[in-house]
Parts: sequence; C-alpha cells; structure tokens
Amino acid sequence: MKGNYLGELEELVLLHVGILHPDAYGVAVMDEIEKQAGRSLNISAVHSVLTRLEEKGFLKSKMGDPSQERGGRRKRIFLLTAAGKRALEEANELRTQLFNQIPKVALQFRLA
Amino acid sequence: MNHQPPKWADRFLQWYCRPELLEEIQGDAYELFYRKVMQHPRQAKVQFVWNVVRFFRWKNIKRTQNKINKSRATMDMLKNILTVALRNFVRQPGNTSLSVIGLTAGFVCAFLVMLWSLHEYSYDSFHPQGEQLFKVLTHAEANGTKETYSVASCVMDVSSIPEVESLTSVSTGTRWPHQLCFRPEGKADECIYMDGVYASENFFQVFHFPILQGDTNPVKGTASIAISEKMAEALYGKENPLGKVIKIDGTREVKIVSIFQNVPATSSLQFDFVMTYDVLKKQWGIDDEGFKQNFFEMYVKTHQPISADLLTEKLNDVRVITEAYKNEKLSYQAFPFTDWHLKSKFEDGKNTGGRIDYVMLFLVIGCLVVIMAVINFINLTTARASLRGKEIGIRKVTGAMRSTIAAQFMGEAFLLVMIAFALSVVITQATLPIFGTLIQENLSVDIFSGWTPAYLLVFLLAVSLLAGAYPAIVMSSFQPIRALKNQLTMSATGSQRFRKLLLTIQLSVSIGIIIFSGVIYSQLKYITEKDLGFDRSNMLRIEPTYRLLLKFEAFKNELAKDPNIVSVGAANSNPLNMGGSNMGVTWQGKEPDARIAFKTLGCNYSFPNTMGLKLSQGRLFELSTHDSVRTEMILTEESAKIMGFTNPIGEEIKIGGTTGVVIGVVNDFHTESLHEARVPVILFRTAPEHLSTIYVKYQPGSTIQSMESIANAYKLIEPAYTMKYWFQDETFDEIYKTETVASRLVILLTVIALAIAIIGIVGLATFNVLRKMKEMSIRRVFGASAVQVLQLLVREFLAVILLAIVITIPLIWYRANEWLNGFAYHTAMPWRIFVVACVGIVLLITLIIVLQGVKTIRTNPTQTLRSE
Repeated sequence: MKGNYLGELEELVLLHVGILHPDAYGVAVMDEIEKQAGRSLNISAVHSVLTRLEEKGFLKSKMGDPSQERGGRRKRIFLLTAAGKRALEEANELRTQLFNQIPKVALQFRLA
Repeated sequence: MNHQPPKWADRFLQWYCRPELLEEIQGDAYELFYRKVMQHPRQAKVQFVWNVVRFFRWKNIKRTQNKINKSRATMDMLKNILTVALRNFVRQPGNTSLSVIGLTAGFVCAFLVMLWSLHEYSYDSFHPQGEQLFKVLTHAEANGTKETYSVASCVMDVSSIPEVESLTSVSTGTRWPHQLCFRPEGKADECIYMDGVYASENFFQVFHFPILQGDTNPVKGTASIAISEKMAEALYGKENPLGKVIKIDGTREVKIVSIFQNVPATSSLQFDFVMTYDVLKKQWGIDDEGFKQNFFEMYVKTHQPISADLLTEKLNDVRVITEAYKNEKLSYQAFPFTDWHLKSKFEDGKNTGGRIDYVMLFLVIGCLVVIMAVINFINLTTARASLRGKEIGIRKVTGAMRSTIAAQFMGEAFLLVMIAFALSVVITQATLPIFGTLIQENLSVDIFSGWTPAYLLVFLLAVSLLAGAYPAIVMSSFQPIRALKNQLTMSATGSQRFRKLLLTIQLSVSIGIIIFSGVIYSQLKYITEKDLGFDRSNMLRIEPTYRLLLKFEAFKNELAKDPNIVSVGAANSNPLNMGGSNMGVTWQGKEPDARIAFKTLGCNYSFPNTMGLKLSQGRLFELSTHDSVRTEMILTEESAKIMGFTNPIGEEIKIGGTTGVVIGVVNDFHTESLHEARVPVILFRTAPEHLSTIYVKYQPGSTIQSMESIANAYKLIEPAYTMKYWFQDETFDEIYKTETVASRLVILLTVIALAIAIIGIVGLATFNVLRKMKEMSIRRVFGASAVQVLQLLVREFLAVILLAIVITIPLIWYRANEWLNGFAYHTAMPWRIFVVACVGIVLLITLIIVLQGVKTIRTNPTQTLRSE
C-alpha cells in the first residue's frame, strides 16, 4: 500500500524523531541528522518530510512552549505514533533479514 | 546591535504561508537565523532568504477559499448571449462579413510583415554563442571623412588581447577563385559551379557550421577541402565522398577531408566548400609576402560576451593594428556579428542602419494597417450596436448589470476577432510561398515555427481587447429608459464624435500609406530609368576561363561573323557595381596630402566602345597602339576636372606603381548603386589575359540568335566548360533588389490599406444612411432635390476626409523627403502623386456615399415614413 511505504529519507527522519524524544522539532531534527548521519538537509526539506510522515500517521504533533530564540514563537513537537514505531520495526526487521541472507562469500573482499 | 532577518523576505513568507503552518515555519527560520547571526550576519541573512524561498512549496502556500461566484452570468445567460450574437451575425451577414474581411486583411498583412521581420532578425542567430562573435571593420580616414570596409588585415595579431578566444579570416567572393567549376565523377564535360570560401584554421571553431563526417578541423594542410552535403550530393550522389580527390581548374588536386551540414539560408556567410589559404595563394600565384598585404573578412570570438566598444579599443592598440596601418590613418572596429545583416551601412565611420530601416518601415506600416483594421472594426461594431438599443434596454431592465452587457459585447468582438484570426492564419500559411517569391526570399520561418505562435497569441489578446473594449464601454453605458424610448441620439452623439475621430485616423493612415508607396515607386522608376552614362541593355556578361581570355581575339573574331553582335570588350570589373575605390592615384600637381578616391577600371581596347562611352577629347584605345611603352589611360570628365587638367591629353598619371599617359576623356558614368555618390573613374588599358570579364553587346531584339552564336563561339574555345553568363539588365535589377522588394511589399500593403479604408467607409456610410433615413425622407417630401439630400450625407464625411488630408500631407511630405535623401540621386518630390492620391480618395469616398444614398432616394419616402 502506498501510504505505508517508508522512503529512505522518511525512515531517517522518523528514526531521529525517536532519538530526540520528546524534543523533536524541525531544527532539532535537522541538526541531529547532520550530526549523526552527516547529511546536511535544508530545513524546508525536513519540514516537508515531517508533515508527510504526520499525514501517513507515523507521527503526531503538538505545539510546544514559546522560546526566546524563535522570536517568541512556539515549536511544533513531533512524537512517534504506534504506527510509526511499527513501521520502523518492520523496516529494521526487513533489513536485518535481508542482510543475513547475503552469502558470506559475497562479503569477503580481498585485495585482488 | 540588533540583528533582524531581512524584512521583505519575512513579509513574503507571511504573505504566502498558510496561517496554520506559519508559526512553526517562521519559528524555525528565525531560530536558524539567530543562531548564526552573531558570527556571520551576512551569511545568516542570505540563509534566511534561501530558507524562505525553499519553504515556498505548494504544500505551504495559502489556499484561496472557494469564493462564491459573484458574477451573475450563469451558464444560461452565457448561452443566451452566444445565441444572440450568432443571430446578429446571421441577420446582418453583409455587415458581419465586412468586419471580418477588414480584420482578416489587416491580420494577414501584419502576419506577413511579422514573419518577414522575424526572418530578417534570425540571420546568423544559429551560432550558439552569437554575442561572442565580432566582425572586424576597417575605417580609412581620408579628406576628413571615414570610409568603412568590411575587411581587415589578414595577418592581424590579437594574441595581446586576453579576452579573445580565437580569430579567423575568411576570403569571400562571387567569382573565380571563390566560384569554381566542379565536375561530377565520370562526367568530364559537365560543370557544376559552386561558391565557396578560403579561410584560416580556426574557421570551424569560431563559427557553428557542424561537420557531419570526417576531420573536425579541415581547414589545414595544403591540399584539403571541406564540402557541404549539397555539394557532396551533387558531385557523388549517394557515394561516400570522403578521401576523394577533386581537381580544381583541371589541375590542382585537393582531397575531401570533411563534409559539413548545409549552410542555413539565414547565414550571412554562404558557401559550399572551404579551402585553406595555401590553395588560394597558389590560385592567385602570390607568395607569402604578397599575401600578407591582403585584407579579408576577419572574425573574432571572445571567451565571454564583451562590449563591442571595449573590443574596438583593444583592436586599435598598436600591437594589433600595427604602426604602419596607424600611420595610414586606418582604424579597426569590432562589430557584433549578429547585427551585421541588418546594420551594415556606414557613413563617415558611423553605423547608419541598413536593412533595419526597411524592417522598421514595414513593421510600422504593418502596425498601422492593424490599427486601421481595428478602428474599422470598432466603427462598424459601435455603429451597428447603436441600432441594438432596445436589446440592451430590455437586458438592463430585466436585471443585467453593466458588466454583463460589457462582457456580452466583448464576447461578440472576441468571437469575430477569433474568426478573422483563424482565417488569416490559414490564409497567411497558404500565401507564404507566393509572398516568398514576391520578396525573392525563402522565408526561414512560418506561422507555426519557433516563438511565432506565442507572439500570435499575444497579438490576438491585444487586438481583442482593443477591438472589444470601446464598444463594450459605450454599449453598456446606455440608459435603459432612453434606449427603450428610442432616444439614443443624445448618448450616441458622444460616440459619433469618437467614431469620426477614429475615421480621421484611419483615413490619414491610408492616405499616408498610399502616398508613401507612390513616392517609393516613383523613386524606383527614376533609378531604373536614369542614364548611368553607359549602356547596359542588350548586353551579356560572360565569366571567362583563362584560356578564353588568352584567346580573346579569336573569340572576338568568331563573334564578329554574326551581324547581330555589335561589340565585344573585356574589363576587370563590372561598371554597374565596381566595388572598392583606389586612393593611390598620383599626378603632376597633386597636393601631397590629398587623398582622393578614384575607381580604376582595367579594360581592353574595345571596352569603351562596347559600353557606349562618349568621347569628348582625344581618342579611345586603338588596337594598333597595343605596344605603347606606357599604359594608355582614359579619364572621365570628372576625373580630369578633379586633377585640374585643362588639356589632359598627354599628361602622366600613376596608379600605384603603374605609370600611364592620358589619351582621351569620356563622359562621366556611375559605378555604384545610386545610393552612393558618383566617383571619378580612370580607365587603363590592359591585356585581356589580365582581365576577368567579357562583355558582348548585341542588336536589340536579337537575344536568341546572339546567344546561340555566343554559345557556339564559347564551345569552340572551351568545349569542356559550361558558359557562365549574366544579362547586365538583370544584374542591374539585382543591385536594387531591396528597393524592388520594398516597392512590391509597399504595393501589397497599399492595396490592403485601401481595401480596409473602403470597407470602413462602406460600413459607416450604410449606417449613416440608415440613421438619416427619416430625415432624408422628410426633406424629400418637402421638396428637396436628390442632390441636396445627397449633399447632406456627403458633407459629414467630407469634413473628415479634408481633416485627414491636412494632417497627413505635411507628415508624409517630411518622411518621404527623408527617405529620398537616403539616395545620392533621387527624383524631385513627386507632388503629383500627392494631388492624385488626395483627389482620388475624395472622389472614391463620395462615390461610395452617393451610391449608398441613391438607393434610399429611389425608394418612395412614404414607405420609410409610414412605419411611425
């Protein structure tokens, strides 16, 4: 089903929302991704992924407290939903399962 | 310090962002900004703007709420309006078709002019980096004025200019050795003439002429040639020509190394083969030292687009132009290559236009014709619509708003404009080939190519708005009660006056176009009939082979057997179009610094006779004096005057290194198109083998017989060559091709302008008669004569026509005068044309009105009066 498919960037963002729990919002996710995965994304890209994930039901959000560094504006805090957690687990599982099926030989590289 | 994000970007964000997303998005953007602003305020700002731009996504953009459709024009109403419009068209088919025909004629005219100018503007635009290409021109200063040549020294060194990427020189021409006879494989006595160029190595790097097969840089080595697809096809058919060897002039062998794509018609460089200068040097029989003196077309390609002025300055650096040329008062100019086709005319070192003048002229006329057509349309529409007062009244009473009525009339106008537009697109596309022959050019564009459809769409919208707006405003302003009570006269007077104003404009434009074309026409007639000082009719010009020149006397004697042949002569150029002038003429008593341009014409002894030059002093060349120690020369009267000789016979003259003695004086003659002032000429005697053209004069009316004997005589000497020849008359026409084409276009436009004017007058006259039907009938009943009644109709129009004439004449007189002054020799202002055109227009319009009026007068007045 199209709605359940988790893209690569989506998975990355979803993971980071989990990591940052309960303080995940746009800029924080962006920073964390840069720190952990070394990928620098534009804030608008992070935003659109977050809203897309919310539409798919993997995330839910609430408005946080206003803060000084945002000119008195509130953050939108994102939290994993049950569906989001399941999607992550499924993705993780599928990956491990597939990885284990790779024959050992294929992974042995020697300097030829 | 208080750092704030750029205000405009913030506002932009607030403007587009959905309110429910604004807070978080703005918050994130601010947070990122504040984080960076302390260390890098500038970067922070840039980043903020960038983020705002990146947030500009469909998802984040505000949606306008679905407003309730405020317009009352529901589907039913639109349908009704359409039905009424169609009924109206059908009820008055004459009127409707007049409107449509008028518009169509105007549109077709505009489209053709547009296509033609697009074609003109597309010249050389196929080079992808056109703005980096420059042509080097040379200005030579003499006697205070500058003459401009489209060539420059072929050994120019631009290595001191870092902006220049590459430089190439091209030697072009229309005759040997640029036009050569090629023989298809296996057919030794067939001869195909092809035009080509000689160029330096970078030719294919500077210009974009794609090479299809073979070496991508073919202009090198001493014996290679690159040929076009067309030439490959003509010589070898379907065979692969690469590697084949061609014999040039039957002796010199060159190998085909590349084939390039056919040169587009819109290239100002036209050629079918390219060879190196090594070949040219051998053809001309000159060494490297002699070659360096040559001036060829030089083209510069820069790394980046650069201003022509800057490049000009750098070209005039002494390292480029050299000390020697600087001392000769030469200067270079870099001229944008893509502009060359349209702006190649120079006066005193300054660009004074060129073909662009004609393009502009016709664009203006095209616009005027469209305006005329639109005015026509507006007049007809408003006139007709004021008969529809009742309909508008009822609509308003039953609740139509002003905007609805306006929309209705706009819609009707749009419908008609659409029909005219569709018709004219079809007609234009269909007449394009005819138009092409009319202007003697293969148009590279048609109505569906490139950007044209987009232009047309803009045109359509603009015209619909123009044509629809006024009727819509006037019609929708009718007071319903007055309209229903048939009291529209009051409100209609306003539009009546406006209509007259429009009619005045329209008539002015038509009169202007008609008179101007008359002026162009009479100037052209003047040119073609002006005595140039030598004969050009019944004369054949032959391109000789070298052998023919060597055996010139034999050829001449052979032709002498035919009584139809009057005379045979040879010269080194064509007196119709002699080209470059010579400043290196010196004589006894010449002031040392004076630089006077002469045209020097080398010819054999019989040439002055062949050309029909009239002797005024001394004698012409004679066969017996061939072995004279000094070259014999003949002056024209003007040259003798300039040199200050009272008795020129026996004076010594030096042309460059050649010394000659004057033996005679002949009448003055023109050597260029009549755009240029006449230049003094010196004829000097040369042996035929050093000349390049043979002229044969024959009896009038004996063209066919003479052609036959000329061809036979040619075959006798050159059996393996096809004779190449031109009629001098045709060459003459070719010189004035632009003028001929212009006059044809003008005639076309005149016809259309006249047609539109007539349509307009017919339409308005009909309407006027309808409006005045009652008045006329009442006058008739009270005993007015038919003439008196007709006067009533004519008077109104006459004032308008006279006003139009008064406005137009001075304007067009001024403009025509300016145009005529562009010719060094022009006819006096043809005032007769002004009179004839004005009187003609007045008579024509009166006739139309009278014809319309007579119809009404014929009917019994009681019939029109009965209805009330």
